[in-house]
Amino acid sequence: MKNLENQTKQAHSRGRSGLASFGLLLPGGGMLALLVAAPLILLIVASFCANDSFSGGFTLANYQQVFADGVFTSLMGKSVLMGLAVTLGCVLLAYPVAYGLAKLVSERARGSLIVLIIIPFFTSQLLLIYSMIVLLQGQGPLMSLLALFGADPSASILYTDAAVFLILLYEFLPYMVLCLYSAIAKIDDNQLRAAQTLGAGRVKRFTSVIFPKSLPGLLSGILLVFVPVTGSFVEPDLAGGSSGMMVGSLINSNFAAAYNLGRGAALSVLFLVILTAITLVINGLLRWAGRGRQRL
Amino acid sequence: MKKKYPWVRAIMILVYAFMFLPIGIVILMSFNASPYGTFPFEFTTKWYELLFSGGDLGQATALSLIFSLLVALAAVLIGLLTAQGMRRIGKRKAAVFSQLLNSAIIVPWLVLGIAMLILFNMTGLGRSYLGMFLGNTVVVLPYVVLLVYPALLEQKPNAESAARTLGASPLRVFWTVTLPGILPAVAAGGLMALMVCFNNFVIQYYLAPFGVRTLPLEIYNLVRVGYKPDINALASIMVVVSVGLVLLVSRLGFGKKKGLFW
Repeated sequence: MKNLENQTKQAHSRGRSGLASFGLLLPGGGMLALLVAAPLILLIVASFCANDSFSGGFTLANYQQVFADGVFTSLMGKSVLMGLAVTLGCVLLAYPVAYGLAKLVSERARGSLIVLIIIPFFTSQLLLIYSMIVLLQGQGPLMSLLALFGADPSASILYTDAAVFLILLYEFLPYMVLCLYSAIAKIDDNQLRAAQTLGAGRVKRFTSVIFPKSLPGLLSGILLVFVPVTGSFVEPDLAGGSSGMMVGSLINSNFAAAYNLGRGAALSVLFLVILTAITLVINGLLRWAGRGRQRL
Repeated sequence: MKKKYPWVRAIMILVYAFMFLPIGIVILMSFNASPYGTFPFEFTTKWYELLFSGGDLGQATALSLIFSLLVALAAVLIGLLTAQGMRRIGKRKAAVFSQLLNSAIIVPWLVLGIAMLILFNMTGLGRSYLGMFLGNTVVVLPYVVLLVYPALLEQKPNAESAARTLGASPLRVFWTVTLPGILPAVAAGGLMALMVCFNNFVIQYYLAPFGVRTLPLEIYNLVRVGYKPDINALASIMVVVSVGLVLLVSRLGFGKKKGLFW
């Protein structure tokens, strides 16, 4: 069968076939080149340009300006902390859920429970934020309930960093659960039983079987959660209150209200570089931890 | 092994409660007469009536629906070509190409949206329907390809070779042999593209023409101002629609074999 396939392949002239493949890939590849690669290159170029018309020559002034007032540094630090906190929260909650979905629940329950986890993917980000605001707002359902126990019903954590944390956790938890679930589901039950028979307790089973085996899922989960959370600007804008700004809000303020090309581009580039560096460090650390474990 | 991990089960229940409490409250509030979302609860359907009486939310929903359908259609067409091309160039080169596709997912939409706005401003296109259309299409394209390409790989090439040998044109082979086999994955990819575009706030925020409000933009503006009970009604309808679509997509492409997430 393989032969027949090869013969038919050879029967078509090789040059024409290559041209056809190229033609098929052209629209998609062209779109990626023109609408993802080119804009990102332009962004980097713009960050080194003296003025908005790309004619002022090379300059570092935009970067100097960004660091001059210290706003970027403090907001970037705050955002990275928020990103790490939300990611950690997601990991801590998602591991038990993913393990339960993969190994504890029955086959039938699993299908429906996974569908439930996917629903937020298909729901608007803004509606998720909005529903959390409704839940948390002063005089709202949660505060009315707490008022029964003597709390002030008009007080609320809404418009604080705690509310932003909760909303981001709520939005991104499903990503982490699905990533970890797909990795844990592939672990052979026998391997877990073997570890148990050999006397490994729960902690040991986690550190020497589940953790190293689920590492790929954990790494993609961290990428999917940490990067967008650190760059979020809608959540702090809607629920963070007056002191809720994050680095995404700062970048956004250079493009939405005003059009401050050079400075905004420099901010975006720095943001991307720092995020990439942190993600690489986290990946490296986890990989190192996983490898060390697997040797035991 | 069953019934042995009480704390794992407890956390599962807690997490599911956390995930669905806000949505449940919004559905409850959509039937509450209070315009500020406060108790005591008094049943009403007036927010649904308000929603359908032709306000801004209804108009924005219609605009978003038509726009997302066009984007999904374009993404499916281009995604089919791309997946077919990836299949022809062999697995190793295809892996490189799918890395390229992934980059469109990994770069934060905030940065990508801004970068595209800079490009469009420089080329004179500016904020326009065309720019918004292109931006949203390139962002949903990876989802379509990631769903369609694996389905295409699972197809045996023999039937296609036979059809070719019998004299069918490549286009006819694709239309009558290849496409029917991967139709569920194509439908799942199309729905995924539709939903991601319909809900995409960030890209539309930067690329939409001034004054044009798609649904995410309209909701953003309303939520900034404060509590609006007709958003509750809209949110409830959208959650119900989402549940239906998730069930449909999981039937089509996700549940059976390996899908996008597992």
